[in-house]
Amino acid sequence: MTLALYYHEDYLLHEHTPTHPERRERLQYTMDQLREEGLLDSPAVDICAPEPASTADLHRVHDGEYLDRLRYMSRRGEGQLSVDTHVSEHVWEQARLAAGGVADAVEAVATGTHPRSFVMARPGGHHAFADDGHGFCYLNNTAVALRRVQATTDVDRILLWDWDAHHCDGTQSIFADDPSVLVMSTHQSGRTLFPGTGFVREVGAGAGEGYTVNVPLSPRTGDDAYLRVVEEIFEPIAEQYDPDLLFVEAGQDNHFTDPITDLGVTAQGYARLMERAVDAADELCDGRLAASLAGGYGIEGGLPYTNLAVIASLAGLETSNIREPALYEPPSASPGVERVIDRVKERHGEYWDF
Amino acid sequence: MHVGIDTGGTNVDAVLVDDGIRASGKVPGDRDNPVEHLLEELLDGQQAVERVVVATTLLLNAAVQERLPACTNVLVPGPGLSPERAFHGEANHVAAGCVDHRGRVTEEPAYERRPATETVAVTAKFGTRNPEPERELRETLDSDAASVALGHAAGPGLNFPDRAATTVANARTAGTFAGFASEIDDALDTVGVDAPVYYLKGDAAMLSADAMATRPAQALRAGPAASALGLVALTGVEDAVCVDIGGTTTDVTRVTDGFPVTEPVEAGSLETGYDGVRAVDLPLGGDTRVAADGLTGRREGHASAFGGDEPTLTDALSVTGALEDTGGALDSEAARTAFESFERPRAVAAGVVDSYVSRVADAIASVAPNATRLVAGGVLAPSLADRLADAAGIGESLVPDHAAVAGAVGCATARVSVETGIHIDSARGTVTVSALGTETEPVERGRTFDDDEVATLAIERAREAARRAGAQSDTEMPVNVRHTRRFNVVEKARVAGQVVDATAQVEPGLGVELGGDR
Repeated sequence: MTLALYYHEDYLLHEHTPTHPERRERLQYTMDQLREEGLLDSPAVDICAPEPASTADLHRVHDGEYLDRLRYMSRRGEGQLSVDTHVSEHVWEQARLAAGGVADAVEAVATGTHPRSFVMARPGGHHAFADDGHGFCYLNNTAVALRRVQATTDVDRILLWDWDAHHCDGTQSIFADDPSVLVMSTHQSGRTLFPGTGFVREVGAGAGEGYTVNVPLSPRTGDDAYLRVVEEIFEPIAEQYDPDLLFVEAGQDNHFTDPITDLGVTAQGYARLMERAVDAADELCDGRLAASLAGGYGIEGGLPYTNLAVIASLAGLETSNIREPALYEPPSASPGVERVIDRVKERHGEYWDF
Repeated sequence: MHVGIDTGGTNVDAVLVDDGIRASGKVPGDRDNPVEHLLEELLDGQQAVERVVVATTLLLNAAVQERLPACTNVLVPGPGLSPERAFHGEANHVAAGCVDHRGRVTEEPAYERRPATETVAVTAKFGTRNPEPERELRETLDSDAASVALGHAAGPGLNFPDRAATTVANARTAGTFAGFASEIDDALDTVGVDAPVYYLKGDAAMLSADAMATRPAQALRAGPAASALGLVALTGVEDAVCVDIGGTTTDVTRVTDGFPVTEPVEAGSLETGYDGVRAVDLPLGGDTRVAADGLTGRREGHASAFGGDEPTLTDALSVTGALEDTGGALDSEAARTAFESFERPRAVAAGVVDSYVSRVADAIASVAPNATRLVAGGVLAPSLADRLADAAGIGESLVPDHAAVAGAVGCATARVSVETGIHIDSARGTVTVSALGTETEPVERGRTFDDDEVATLAIERAREAARRAGAQSDTEMPVNVRHTRRFNVVEKARVAGQVVDATAQVEPGLGVELGGDR
């Protein structure tokens, strides 16, 4: 089992502001950890260099007018898409390289060059809409990637599990009426966190009705509660949907040290979640599983350990010793998830059997 | 004057070098105090000796023959992948404690067990970002630990499992190295040489004796490194395959861009993160015993032509009339007599020479498949170079003057090389420098560095490390700054400082140019 790990030094170039939470050491401390673990020199991992997404790739998802605007702003190296989403001179090239990295990683799995892949990229993409961006996102990396493999390989049906703490509003809007991509999002409820969407009632539209699944969670939701959601919602729907490929948008901001969210997942919890994804892919789609880093701002106590956990799970390595140093104390209690599980089952009962 | 000493399996060679080769000698390694006798013969008491540089195959032989002591590998892995990935000792003990990626001790180190052996390695994850936990654990070990190697002294860089393997290799080779170094010191005392002593590393650069004592596994491939560098110094070749024909072994190495090609070194059960010249080390040489059915692969003594009792490859060359001037007294009659025990002496002799040539040609094909020039060293080089080149399909072969003592020439012409890693964390207020060891020192909190400052600092620190390893002048110290990065550390929504990383190497190279111009 060799995991394809897509990474490029140019993923470090873009900076919003000197103190912005979405900053380069999100990747650098993790890369230090992976290097010190010996993973980057190990046969378990192939380091793969991404190519920028092509113009054709971008036009499958985004409006030409938006792409022109973003490229123009980036060339000038100034401006903002929203109050917290800044455009630097590196944004255009780096966002294309991030989208290209995710597309290359999905393609590697779709064409069988690697059984699984992970993309360590920034900026993220899931808050990018066809015609605008916000939430630290410019191009919708995942949508660009999934549209490319659907256009160029025999992969048709894709199950997308976005477990970032923030609801994937951009991705949901792009695939809302499309049953060929089932978008399932587990996230901290929009009542308490940006972007304020992703409620149970949002189920997709037209031909895509029932192919958008939202599981909004209460603050402090922890490992066991997440695993219940996996068992009671994710796994039954995945089985019935029977995808050709599973994609996980692996936001690491459910971690209990994350400074801008309020969830309670640990590094061990992340290892378990990715193991479940691996199992589901093995069972349903010949093991085809691609994943990418999304959010995650617990730069010191979270990311090095959570990224290691998901990468080790994907690479089939032993994960039992992966945890946060004792300095960081995980929350002692998690709220229940019975109510939200019941509401999802009730709302989606007309599309899926539970 | 530089003195180069190459102690191989059969002979000890020495040369005196200033801007040319002033004297050379060769004595059998099995006589008493060979180094002492050789130096007495070469030095007339008039020359001022600036340095003595020594290469030995002793560590490699001990490793390959599994004669090194067993080691208890004490690990401080902290959280992460399974510590078993770093289990490179005969016993492996996992201690408590955690150093994080910024070098902070996030869990206190504690080792509750006793080492199972007198040889101990202690390696902490991120130990090259903070050496203190390894030092603390060393203090808690019983004093009967004969040899303790610490991971932060193994060299710069991140890779905990590899560093643990390298540290185990350093611990296991330390005793053999110390014994050898003390014999050299005694010999030099006896002949009255009071000059700094250096040892050749496997990458064909050298370190002071003190520096080498903490990381002796770097000397594992010193033998082939010495001959390859010597042949470069003697010929000035830029690209060639080098064949050094010794008494016990034949080393095939490759030179590209004017220097031997290297790879990470493994030997016997040892794995190291150290680079050493890529070499195929054939167990065949001039003293290899010949039996009726061919070469045995064993050495049982000197060639009959040189006073031994048994027929050898050297004798076979003599019998076939192929033995060229060897620079010493040669008894071709004795060689012929030795072969008379065979029914068809000439056929056996021709057969073993053919077989030797074809095995070396195979080694050349694997080390340097596209080589267009062959450079040969060793006493038998003039007798075999052309045949080896023909068999390997190489158009040009070269046997420089002094080829018989190429390894000693390599020692005398080496220079110091050290790799240095610098990690600045001005939010913590620390600079951690890893070269011959890892040391942490304070830096002004919140200080920032620009690219030029980082490069300047890397060059300074690399040169400082090279001076500590024995480099004597800046002209010997070309520095290659290989990797730098820097970024802000943000704490509580303000920039609290910078993290800066750089690695720099004082590069291996020729410390003395002998004027070879090929």
